Amino acid sequence: MAGHELIAAQLAILAARLPAEAVEELADGLHEAYADQLRRHGDPDVAARATIAEFGDADTITAAFVRVSPWRRTALMLLATGPIMAALWAATLITGQAWAWPLPTPVKVLYGVALLTVVGLLLAAALRPRVHRRTRLTVIAGALGLILLDGLMMTTALHFSTGPVWPLAAAVPASLIRLLAVVRALPPMLAA
Amino acid sequence: MRAEALKGHLDGLLLAALEDGPRHGYAVKEALREATEGRIDLPTGTIYPALHRLERAGLIAGDWSVVGGRRRRTYELTAAGRTVLSRERTGWQEFATAITAALGTRSWPATS
Repeated sequence: MAGHELIAAQLAILAARLPAEAVEELADGLHEAYADQLRRHGDPDVAARATIAEFGDADTITAAFVRVSPWRRTALMLLATGPIMAALWAATLITGQAWAWPLPTPVKVLYGVALLTVVGLLLAAALRPRVHRRTRLTVIAGALGLILLDGLMMTTALHFSTGPVWPLAAAVPASLIRLLAVVRALPPMLAA
Repeated sequence: MRAEALKGHLDGLLLAALEDGPRHGYAVKEALREATEGRIDLPTGTIYPALHRLERAGLIAGDWSVVGGRRRRTYELTAAGRTVLSRERTGWQEFATAITAALGTRSWPATS
């Protein structure tokens, strides 16, 4: 660790927000920068302040990590395609007379609540640029929830829908594509 | 030079900073600053996520080592990175030639 309390404090903030390996890398960089500034200025306090100024504050650094993170891209992709998916499934549910499907009302309500929760999680993740670690977990939870909900919706609609085939023929492939996109995005999200 | 002015060119600059051999994040930033005589001096902390993005894209490869008791991640160009750097360089030269020609030879008409 770099040898000044300002640097240690900066690292403590970053450690609460970023993955351990990123913090280790930043710690090495901060140490190098501090040693460099100490050679230039001679005074430890001046050197530490110059190092922080040179590195950028914790908010700037965290926001830069969040901007390039694979999970943020996934959250934005899911939110951007959300309205199209909603329209496709709304058409399927309306033409298939979903209100007449033999499912208990609590199950339907639970599905709706779960869907709203997932959308809320993804929105929260996309709108919080300074909380890297927690937001990553939020997106992973949201993405896994969406896989589950997509799977349930497809199975139920294919089983109970009595309406025309075309809405299902559009909604099911769209959901499958989204499901595959999420599955492909998961490994980099878990590794980030 | 402001970071916004570098939009679209940062990847090429980081790849160029690694062309001479492996470097860690702070050394990449210093190489960039020295090569541009201080004109490009980005916040060091923002260099690291950009390097991670290039690594995920397969353009650079990172490796951990221990230096002075601290873990250090060092990056080097991959073959794909060298190809992209060469493409960036050609693209920039064409762009710079076109802009230089336009700015240097044409007299702009008066607007009033």
